[in-house]
Amino acid sequence: MTVTSTDLLRAHAEDQYAAELAALAAADDRPRPPRWRLSPWAVTTYLLGGTLDDGTVITPKYVGARRLMEIAVASLATDRALLLLGVPGTAKTWVSEHLAAAISGSSTLVVQGTAGTPEESLRYGWNYARLLAEGPSRDAMVPSPVMRAMETGALVRVEELTRIPADVQDSLISILSEKSLPIPELDDEIQALQGFNLIATANNRDKGVNDLSSALKRRFNTLVLPLPGTLAEEVDIVQTRVASIGHSLQLPIEVESLSEIERVVTIFRELRSGVTLNQRTTVKSPSATLSTAEAISVMTNGVALAAHFGDGVIRADDVAAGLTGAVVKDPVQDRIVWQEYLETVVKDRPEWTDLYRACRELG
Amino acid sequence: MTTVPTDAPRVEVLGVRHHGPGSARSVAAALDELGPDLVVIEGAPELDALVEHAGDPGLVPPVAGLVYAVDAPRRSAFYPLAVFSPEWVALQWAVAHGVDVRFADLPAVHVLADGPTPEEPTEPLEEGAPEPASGTTAVGIAPDRPDAIGMLAEAAGYDDPERWWEDAVEHRSTSSLARFALIREAMAEVRATVSHEDPENLRREAAMRRVVRAALKAGARRIAFVCGAYHAPALQLEDFPPATHDNRLLTGLPRTKVAATWAPWTADRLSVASGYGAGVTSPGWYQHLFVSWQQHDVGDRAGVVPGWLTRVARALRAEELDAAPATVVEAVRLADALAAVRGRPSVGLTELDDATRTVLCEGSDLPLQLVNRTLVIGEELGRVPDGVPMTPLAQDLARLQRSTRLKPSPTATTVVLDLRKPAQRERSLLLHRLALLGVPWGRPADAGRSTGTFKEAWLLEWEPEFAVAIVEAGLYGTTVVDAAEARVTERAREARDLAALGGLVEECLTAELPRALGAVVDTLADRTARQHDTLALLEAVEPLARTRRYGDVRGADTSRVADVLATVVARAAVGLRPACSALDDDAAARMKGAIDGAHRGIALLEDDGLAGPWRGALVAVAADRELHGLVSGRVNRLLLDAGALDPDEASRRLSRRLSVGAVPTAAAAWVEGFLEGEALLLLLDRALLRIVDDWVSGIDETTFEDLLPLLRRTFARFEPAERRQIGTTLRHRGDAVEATADGAPSGVDWDLGRPALLRVAELLGLEVR
Repeated sequence: MTVTSTDLLRAHAEDQYAAELAALAAADDRPRPPRWRLSPWAVTTYLLGGTLDDGTVITPKYVGARRLMEIAVASLATDRALLLLGVPGTAKTWVSEHLAAAISGSSTLVVQGTAGTPEESLRYGWNYARLLAEGPSRDAMVPSPVMRAMETGALVRVEELTRIPADVQDSLISILSEKSLPIPELDDEIQALQGFNLIATANNRDKGVNDLSSALKRRFNTLVLPLPGTLAEEVDIVQTRVASIGHSLQLPIEVESLSEIERVVTIFRELRSGVTLNQRTTVKSPSATLSTAEAISVMTNGVALAAHFGDGVIRADDVAAGLTGAVVKDPVQDRIVWQEYLETVVKDRPEWTDLYRACRELG
Repeated sequence: MTTVPTDAPRVEVLGVRHHGPGSARSVAAALDELGPDLVVIEGAPELDALVEHAGDPGLVPPVAGLVYAVDAPRRSAFYPLAVFSPEWVALQWAVAHGVDVRFADLPAVHVLADGPTPEEPTEPLEEGAPEPASGTTAVGIAPDRPDAIGMLAEAAGYDDPERWWEDAVEHRSTSSLARFALIREAMAEVRATVSHEDPENLRREAAMRRVVRAALKAGARRIAFVCGAYHAPALQLEDFPPATHDNRLLTGLPRTKVAATWAPWTADRLSVASGYGAGVTSPGWYQHLFVSWQQHDVGDRAGVVPGWLTRVARALRAEELDAAPATVVEAVRLADALAAVRGRPSVGLTELDDATRTVLCEGSDLPLQLVNRTLVIGEELGRVPDGVPMTPLAQDLARLQRSTRLKPSPTATTVVLDLRKPAQRERSLLLHRLALLGVPWGRPADAGRSTGTFKEAWLLEWEPEFAVAIVEAGLYGTTVVDAAEARVTERAREARDLAALGGLVEECLTAELPRALGAVVDTLADRTARQHDTLALLEAVEPLARTRRYGDVRGADTSRVADVLATVVARAAVGLRPACSALDDDAAARMKGAIDGAHRGIALLEDDGLAGPWRGALVAVAADRELHGLVSGRVNRLLLDAGALDPDEASRRLSRRLSVGAVPTAAAAWVEGFLEGEALLLLLDRALLRIVDDWVSGIDETTFEDLLPLLRRTFARFEPAERRQIGTTLRHRGDAVEATADGAPSGVDWDLGRPALLRVAELLGLEVR
């Protein structure tokens, strides 16, 4: 059975945007660093969107400051590894995936960092059946994504770097500084080809989990991705993402109801900053992160509810459940915060009566 | 380029960007190429008088030419010059080559005349610039329309005009003069789009042309005119309108008498952030560019980026942040790569900042801000040689120093002033006012053993930095009194809370600034209406009360203060009980201090209108058992001292607080609040002492160890003699006879005390039976 990319729940960036990448490669006449599919200029355009001379429209992948993407691309071009920091939902993984897709044409070389990530995931492991049968050899090795990236001169991504135990993290030091991976068992080494580089992401909220050693820190260029600056920007991000997720879930409705998104994003921003948008009322902040990613999931949830249990039009009732769930993470403290917010802010907005009633009904 | 016969007089207009290092370098090259016999620089012609000091090695930029109206010195204009200013370069070139220098612009005698009144300052020269700190008008050496070169650079897609200058101007032609011709053409295009020329600008250009005409008449053959690029098209010799046209523009203008001087300036004051309209965003960076360019050849700009990042790294290390040389190398590479990604021909400050943040600061903005202050803006301090005429404020200060016979001296000396003598009071006022202006020449010192309020002690020490502080203060006004008042008014506007404003009220009083007092009280009244924090209200009471109490002595009108004080006290009294609830130890300590202060203040005034509600509030607080012990104990003590609390009730409360059911730490806090102050209470009221004693002896050992520091702190505040007496009393408690019925302590030898009692009665004029 052949699987087409439309059947996939989620296609890789390089497949989903294959047409854009091809158009960019065709139009791109600027110098490219060794083994880069596109020039730094084209990578930046791919991330930030634009219209090419031949009329191809490149959709923006990252909504935010151009500077940040330029720094990211320039860092990768200097063979310094890139560390993307930010609170959850600031598009760290998203950016790293698209960078890898645009620069190396593949976003599949990835190590997911967890508390249990072993050194083998960063270096190499052994196929023990062959090791026993044939003795140590290159064929008996199981290369990690990092090792494969070194061999092919590609980009490798390490997600949630700070979740990886500190001793395992440090095995990256020699890879990043010497650009080589020694294999003492074979008295051999892998030397990285030009074009190899590493993008790591980390959450700076739980920085303390396994803080990077200063030796490792010095090998990274650190880029902090901020939360979206304005309401309009954030609404834009949520809408784009909800539309694309809704499309892949084959939900039969269009997210035309921009006002609902705006309300959700407004509530998130107000609770996050602890003050209403008009700067007049102070509100308490709940313990939840309330990132843009959560706003997206609240909206997706609402879209699904409206499609399957409603009449296909997204209403206050459809988002209320998701909204309450996103805000109230601590059943005692956050509930008080949420009730206070409903009573002092939501209630006083005449055009929000439906939302107020829907949330009150949920308790 | 203009083609003129070699024998004909020649005027080369060098249109520059003010404070542009690129322009400065081009000007130096152009002057070398042209070899003029007269250099004309844009600026009020009154500055000509300052040229004689330009060659003095004691004149170190940044400095500013200052022109001010003699009769109303507040009307003044500053012309700041940095080492990288084209005007400074031209001036230095002329001095080094022995060539005459003239300044040409609309004379300040007109500009500063009949302009803004000191109360309503407007910008006589500068359009669209942010207003400087206060009444004084800070003006650039050529206050242009929006930076014209910047406009061209922006049109070409550059965010830093200096980089545009380098790329678009420096690389175009080998001849500097040809480059300036190109700038002139570009500017002519810019001006062609301007539909309406500002009449002020037309007058200024007419005045510039008039200077050129006069110079030609006097025999100059080759004139170099350094001016803002915007004016360049209007100063072409062959396009000069008839002289009568210009003269018509310049007749009938008002006049006033002006004076000019050099004043030391700071890099900070050059920056746009300080409110200087023609300023630049990054004087430190420009200085670095200029100096690097001077050290390297024109073709070699390799030094700029590594040099800058090395300085950044050193600055970070000075702040104890890691910045290894290896990472500096990486930062240089990133900056280069960024410039390439952004399609820019050379690395600019934006790239350097991005590289610094990403590589050296781990993505954080905070370390970058440290660097920003020290490097990007810079901390250069200009110097002015002796013998240069002084700024108006400095003149006023020198006059005051003479009249009060206080001489500035770098060695620290202490003076004690008796405020009852007019001459000494003048000195006190001067020191107070200077302190308000940020010139802490005198610092308050201990006046010695004197409880009177008429004595003040000052530690006097003059530091050279004060010269700059005085120039900065000069932005507020031209006399010490004016400037101090303007400064206080500004501080009142910026003050965060009522306590700060209350303090300002007092400072106004000690420095005798009645006009500023009005402004501060206005702000205070306004803030009081909006203040909900009872603590802040309480903290404002004492300074206000002192002002009200002693203000009349100093001849200030404090009736407004009384009104505000009444409001503050009323609101504080209403909010006192809620504000005292749910306090932790630190908050309670602060609240206790605030209540003490407010109580002292209210007691000072002896006004029942204030004391009534206040006492009511205290009674409510004292009766509440739920409050923090420290506050509750203190309030009870205040009421007891004021006679508003029955001693029996007080001892009942003490006993209740110290009973077994109460938490020992809370009890200890109550005792601390209650016993603070004079120990006489315990010595005289044996009942109270007994309760405390019983409580202390009743505490079990482990709790006692916990409480020991608290108790120790409480009793350590008593005088040693009082402590000894308490100790003695307690030791004899067992065998002492209990207090007699009339409350007088027993065990007193009446015969021994009789002579003393009689003497006291005699002194008090009592009848002795």
